[in-house]
Amino acid sequence: MSLKGLAHLRSLFAQEAEQRLARLGQLVLELELTPLDGSAELIAEIFREVHTLKGSAAVVGFETVGEFAHAIEDKLGQLRAGSTTATASIIDALLIVLDRLGTVIWESVAEETVDTAINDQLLDQFNAAFAAPAEGSDEVAPPADTATADSEAHTEDVPSPVADQHPGQTAVAPVVAAVTDGPAPARSDRPNPSSLSGGGGTVMVPIERLDDLVRLVGEAAAAHLRVGRVLTERIGVEAIGLAEFGELSRVLNDLQERTMRTRMVPVSTITDQLQRAVRDASRSLGKDVTWEVRGDSTELDRAVLTQLSDSLLHLVRNAVDHGIESAESRAAAGKPPRATIRLHAMQLGSEVTIAVSDDGGGIDLERVRQQALRTGIDVDGLSDDETMQLIFRSGFSTSSFVSDISGRGVGLDAVRSSVEAARGRVEVRSTVGVGSEFRVVVPVTLAVLRCLLVDAAGRRFALPLHQVVIVQSEDQSILSHAEGRQVLMMDSLPVPVADLAQLLGMESTRTGPATYVVLNANTGRCAFAVDALVGQRDVVVKGFGALMPRLEVVAGASVEPDGSILVVLDPSGLVNRSRRDTSRNTEQHSTAPETMRRRGRLLVVDDALTVRELQRTILQRAGFDVRVAVDGMEALERLAEETFDLVLTDVEMPRMNGFELTEHIRALPSSAHVAVLILTSLASDADRRRGMEAGADGYIVKSSFDEQSLLAAVDRLIGLSV
Amino acid sequence: MRAVTFPLGMDRYAIATASVREVVADLRPTPLPTAPSVFLGVFNLRGEIVPIFDTAALLGFRQATGSSVAVVVSTAVGPAALVVGGHAQIATLDEPVGPSELAGTIGTYALRDGVTVLIDVEALLRPHTNLAGARLPEGAVR
Repeated sequence: MSLKGLAHLRSLFAQEAEQRLARLGQLVLELELTPLDGSAELIAEIFREVHTLKGSAAVVGFETVGEFAHAIEDKLGQLRAGSTTATASIIDALLIVLDRLGTVIWESVAEETVDTAINDQLLDQFNAAFAAPAEGSDEVAPPADTATADSEAHTEDVPSPVADQHPGQTAVAPVVAAVTDGPAPARSDRPNPSSLSGGGGTVMVPIERLDDLVRLVGEAAAAHLRVGRVLTERIGVEAIGLAEFGELSRVLNDLQERTMRTRMVPVSTITDQLQRAVRDASRSLGKDVTWEVRGDSTELDRAVLTQLSDSLLHLVRNAVDHGIESAESRAAAGKPPRATIRLHAMQLGSEVTIAVSDDGGGIDLERVRQQALRTGIDVDGLSDDETMQLIFRSGFSTSSFVSDISGRGVGLDAVRSSVEAARGRVEVRSTVGVGSEFRVVVPVTLAVLRCLLVDAAGRRFALPLHQVVIVQSEDQSILSHAEGRQVLMMDSLPVPVADLAQLLGMESTRTGPATYVVLNANTGRCAFAVDALVGQRDVVVKGFGALMPRLEVVAGASVEPDGSILVVLDPSGLVNRSRRDTSRNTEQHSTAPETMRRRGRLLVVDDALTVRELQRTILQRAGFDVRVAVDGMEALERLAEETFDLVLTDVEMPRMNGFELTEHIRALPSSAHVAVLILTSLASDADRRRGMEAGADGYIVKSSFDEQSLLAAVDRLIGLSV
Repeated sequence: MRAVTFPLGMDRYAIATASVREVVADLRPTPLPTAPSVFLGVFNLRGEIVPIFDTAALLGFRQATGSSVAVVVSTAVGPAALVVGGHAQIATLDEPVGPSELAGTIGTYALRDGVTVLIDVEALLRPHTNLAGARLPEGAVR
């Protein structure tokens, strides 16, 4: 056989193996749930699959694979002959050797060296499981020691579907691969797993081709609308009234919908993998858990499901680990010994909800509160729902304390971020003693984005709805002030307010009352004042090409049916920009009597919020444009961004003190002319001299500081201009 | 060499026809907020969203181009529209008659009634787009 011919055969073998290993994974899990007396057929099929794999491996010259498969087959023969019964520990060990078989196959296909010592060691354990006394029908009895160790190790080894792109690490890997094989070019030695369903007439299609199709169909629809406009405008024919035109519309709509659907995969694509995770986790923890799936034929965009699979894996493992109580606790609470973890998928409108629920101990809010207090979170006035949300906080759920209680273990914050990356959200409901439910709600497809349309500065913008927290009109809002900017009180927490037009560098055209849209980003929340809400709509977002400058506040744009372009803003970018702009935001609503208006831009530098606020208030009331900085370093950053007439600085500050700041200001050509006024509690002559040497223009001692003397000193330095 | 020539301020500039996709006379940009001044926004070219640049600003002039005529050029990473000073024409350029000093230009060429400066689209766009540096493959502009 030519080398080329062999390579081709090996790639075929890779395809076959992927399919067979997936089937084997399913069969063994089925075997576990089947009463002994009905298992003969399953065992026979497992035997056949391994046997066929062995034969195929021999054909393509993978001797190591052949030998390993042969050893497994040998033992399976005993089960098939009925001389041994399939105990729980045998099934455990079987899953492990099948996982290993997958690894050996992928290593052979990739022409990597196979460590046969591991093969031998695992086979020894497999054989030992056969030698162990039968455990009767008690399927959930604690397994033998070696098996326990293995299943524990194994629990951790179940590949995370996103991180682990290597095929065949375990027997369920083909299932994993089926949802993780993103748009990256398919590896030549691997088939596209979506084609492996084995159903009649399935065709393998690279995902890029489907993406192309979706794009082209979208363009066809847009072109169609333009034709309609041209007909109306240039020929004077009302396109809507033409039956032919209407028919084309319908066909194109259909085509668009069907094309979108080609990228959809059922939730069942990942449920085998989840079942395996539940099974492994419950075995290793000695918990008796039933896994139920409903609605797994619900379809969603493959890209969305790919992004979710890791989070769902987290959630089901957490449910076993932390949700389900120990057997004793269940017995004490009068619950059935066998716990249930249920996955329920359903589509509601343009969203798919995947709920993972358990009938375990539930989340104890009191313990969450205590933990929150311990980490410095103020829980006063938080409702139960709000308290529950705390478990998604970064650094909160990872605490061992939460793992100890019936709360949730690692990574709920990670779950939330990855669901949000898929433009979705996570909700949790829990009742102590009854159980918990985590709902992951995601859009059916990422190609279409549900948006809130708003008007600001005379233009229309789209805001992705999944990051909109709440919308409030001005009269319902409780506005307040802190550090020179408006804040909106939400759930008794201050949310900074920014004017959307101003933030985007445009003239605000608002005349009436503002409407506030509160947006959520990883870095926090911010409320944006807009002129009006226009409505909600699905927007087909186009990303920008490489030529477009990267703008943090813009997520993309969409071509509207009338040919105009709708700009989709990026909430995270908006929130970040607004945070950076905090100190640039001027006070708009000075209430002080305007006896004397002063002009000039001042920078107040003090690490104490109260002092900073006091000075800012006094100076702003006097008519100055005031910015703030918390230490010398930040002051220098501000100075690099804007020009100032005067800097008012404290001396004792972290990172860079007031003397050093003064020296820096004097040393920089761009700021050498800026007046510097030092305000400090250091009252000695030496300190005063030190300040003057550094280049300060004035020195005020805090003990003698009052509004009049501060304004007098500032006026003296930068003069009055009315 | 065939080139599309156009006015810009007092002078005439040219872009090789090989890089030019079409000329748009009635350009209506949708500005993108917070964009730098060289970037005038985007427009809809038969369903495609195309970025628009101010040619004068790209060349480093203070005065903005301020017209609604744009030359749409194609690059390896997609089309871009360059707003020019007015009506564009096609002309044949012979041998260069001298060098040019502005960044993003290749040389000076004689034209019937004067001279024109030939623009290298890739070199012109590179510093102002996120293709800065080596990320634009060699020969990206065709």
